[in-house]
Amino acid sequence: MNSFYRFFYHLTRLVLGAVFIYASLDKILNPGAFAQAVFNYQVLPGELVNLTALILPWVELILGACLLSNRWMTGAASLAAVLMTVFIGLILFNLARGLDISCGCFSTKPGEGPMDKLTLLRDILFLVLALCLAGLTYYKKTVYHKNKLYTV
Amino acid sequence: MQQSDVLRQSLIDTVREACFIMALSIIAALAVNLARTDFIPFIQDWSIEARLSQDNGDSLSIPLSEAKTLFKGNKAIFLDARGQELFNEGHIKGARNLPWHAVDDYFPEIIKDMDRETPVITYCDGESCNLSHDLALFLKNMGFTQVKVLVNGWTAWVENNLPIESDDK
Repeated sequence: MNSFYRFFYHLTRLVLGAVFIYASLDKILNPGAFAQAVFNYQVLPGELVNLTALILPWVELILGACLLSNRWMTGAASLAAVLMTVFIGLILFNLARGLDISCGCFSTKPGEGPMDKLTLLRDILFLVLALCLAGLTYYKKTVYHKNKLYTV
Repeated sequence: MQQSDVLRQSLIDTVREACFIMALSIIAALAVNLARTDFIPFIQDWSIEARLSQDNGDSLSIPLSEAKTLFKGNKAIFLDARGQELFNEGHIKGARNLPWHAVDDYFPEIIKDMDRETPVITYCDGESCNLSHDLALFLKNMGFTQVKVLVNGWTAWVENNLPIESDDK
């Protein structure tokens, strides 16, 4: 990678890592309120609401920590892209249904306000970053395996 | 052949790392939930009846027939918990708009002529809409003693041809 790509790679992983960790904290601290936010999306069967509300913030926290510490990067960046795709799908689905609910993205409090097109744009930006990062890390991984192949 | 091996190995690594992260997350989530004092059950009943039942076993829910009687006798205040835009498009006749998402802004103005003993019926739209439930709990916390939720209120009211009005010009 040349210096531009290296700079972009580190900037992107640090930004996304910080965003995911920040997004996870309030949800981990308030599992009941986040379960309510998950339920409000009205897409999961009741049996899966609490499990999702418990596990999802930890996925965000651990993948955020991976991104910040530059560990398990292909897995973390790919998971970040998958998560952002799911979030965008849910937001689109609920905007189309006209459901007046909080995003629950960064806060479990109702004061965060209902989700809107700005929420969608913000998540699309994060998705683009996550996809770029996933592409770069995958490229790095293939280079690593290629080098290993030729040095054996 | 070697190129495809490289790509396959990279893909395997990616999936393996993602699985590690997921496994760690599941273990951490379940362990921390078990250890904390304010834990939530892993599986919970999210049915309307369960969500609207209070600690004393009473239900917050009010049947449409009772709500209709209170409406006709002008004995209750209806509070629409949806946003202002939806409220303006149409609401139960005489209802006041107290959007849950901006409850702190609207609350003082909406309740200034209301007695804490006044029967209040909150509603929103949709079987699983939770705005009215959240608003009802908030009102109870604020000292209102007779608060009920009309589940799926707007749709039920319209389907039964009960009086509505709109503020759209």
